Amino acid sequence: MMWSTAIWKRTWGDQRGLVLALGALWAAFPWIYLGLSAQIPMSDFQMLLRLIPEDWQRISGVPLAEVATPAGRVALAFVDPVIVLAATVWGITRGSDAVSGQLERGTLEMVLAAPVSRAAVFVTQAIAVTTGAAVLCGILLASVCTAVAFGPWAGLVEPARFVPAVANVFGLMVGLAGITAAVSAADNHRWRTIGILCGFYVVSLLAKLVGRLSDAFGWVGWLSMFGVYEPQRLVGGTVASWSLLARYDGVLLGLGILGYVVGAMIFSRRDLPAPL
Amino acid sequence: MLVRTDSLTKRYGGFTALDGCSLGVPTGESFGLLGPNGAGKTTLLRLLLGYIRPTSGSAVVAGCDAVADPLGVRRRTAYLPGEARLFRRMTGHGVLDFFAALRRDCRRAAAVAVADRLGLDCDRQVARMSTGMRQKLALAVVLATDAPLVILDEPTANLDPTARAEVLDLVREAKRAGRTVMFSSHVLSEVEAVCDRVVILRAGRLVHDERIDRIRRGHRITARLAAPFAGVPAALADRVRATATGGGRVVLEADDSLAGLLGWLATLPVEEMQVEPVGLAAVYDRFHRPAAAESRA
Repeated sequence: MMWSTAIWKRTWGDQRGLVLALGALWAAFPWIYLGLSAQIPMSDFQMLLRLIPEDWQRISGVPLAEVATPAGRVALAFVDPVIVLAATVWGITRGSDAVSGQLERGTLEMVLAAPVSRAAVFVTQAIAVTTGAAVLCGILLASVCTAVAFGPWAGLVEPARFVPAVANVFGLMVGLAGITAAVSAADNHRWRTIGILCGFYVVSLLAKLVGRLSDAFGWVGWLSMFGVYEPQRLVGGTVASWSLLARYDGVLLGLGILGYVVGAMIFSRRDLPAPL
Repeated sequence: MLVRTDSLTKRYGGFTALDGCSLGVPTGESFGLLGPNGAGKTTLLRLLLGYIRPTSGSAVVAGCDAVADPLGVRRRTAYLPGEARLFRRMTGHGVLDFFAALRRDCRRAAAVAVADRLGLDCDRQVARMSTGMRQKLALAVVLATDAPLVILDEPTANLDPTARAEVLDLVREAKRAGRTVMFSSHVLSEVEAVCDRVVILRAGRLVHDERIDRIRRGHRITARLAAPFAGVPAALADRVRATATGGGRVVLEADDSLAGLLGWLATLPVEEMQVEPVGLAAVYDRFHRPAAAESRA
């Protein structure tokens, strides 16, 4: 059986603090962001955008004319470090706890002494982490929608436009957590798992930048995980936004699921060292 | 046999942690595992439970192959690791709840009873418990199951003398209840007190296998002779061996009662003679501290 209720409850106990902290951050952030952003009048904002060098504008992934609209300005919140780093922190910290975190703490030994399969431990944790990401994205969506509906730009933008953008954040969280869990399944030390993923994160960011800024090395952008994290392109409120989301989240969720499957296979077959 | 291993071997690169270990543990036996650090005791136990895969050989527990059916093995086994680490944020009661939910045969009430016997305060958070208290908590989890095989890897490490005595009593109770116990320890007196049989490992190899009652019956005779020692008569060769001779001195070890040997001993030109029980320490020293065994003789 691929499920253990006891592991589910314990995993939620482990991640409860992080869910509360990130939940509070994401509940407050859209309101703060919109409140601060609205203090810059749209005409001044358009002027600011015109000052940005043309080459740099390629990084945004959308025409600056689209950015200089209420929807575009709300969309920038999704590429703000508060959202991106929080999603990354979730993916890497929860994913790294899957195996190497528990091996490092030594708690896996007693758990696996019980008649529970390694697959059940791994899969139950994966479901708990994915559910946690969904809860956080639910909080983010609720906060964005209420901030848009009742905040400074009330009535100017349809809140439902931001559903695909939040879904893209969810895809990033699941993708990162799955890849991290695969590395964690093969590793004995959590600090090393986190180090490997931080390296992957930085290389991914650089690859996206190089791909965007260089015509000759445009293909490098395809190697980046962040090539499919572009929530600012998903707020058009059109069918195209949803089909683009399907492509983006197809890749991100696919990577996450692949990471979990590979991780489960590695974990089920590997030798587990005694606690050090 | 509840546990059987056949040429069980585990290598890590060029290092052999366990080398061709073949043994059998019958149902209901209390089985001691001795050896210094790195001898392969924990490797053997971890191979039995499927934490690690053998390089070659096989291990079967209660009819379940440790590689093909590790879940079946663990359904029939309660295992206390050498260093039992528990969830630091939980309280003692939280840990007992968790393991009672994780395995059906772990009875919470029984775990609380064991914790009480060991004098453990389960209201305390694990992070605030001492190493010994955590060990007691892990013991409460392990000894509250109905698993037919109980594997204890250094169960009394870090415990106070009262708790040690309680743990040994719990092991005896498990044995009386018909359960099989595998008991790994560095404390020879504890192994001697609770085990029916002991095996000694050295550098990954099983070097000795003997019943404790046989060790208890054995005697060491240290004698100074007025004339050179002529050797053990052929009729007694299967019961007596000379472990050290020279300088007019002879050390004999008899595997069984002294009756039947006394007549022969009376014929020796003895100037001085000392007779003492062999004991597990002497057997252990024979393999791991030969110099000490010699000086003890």
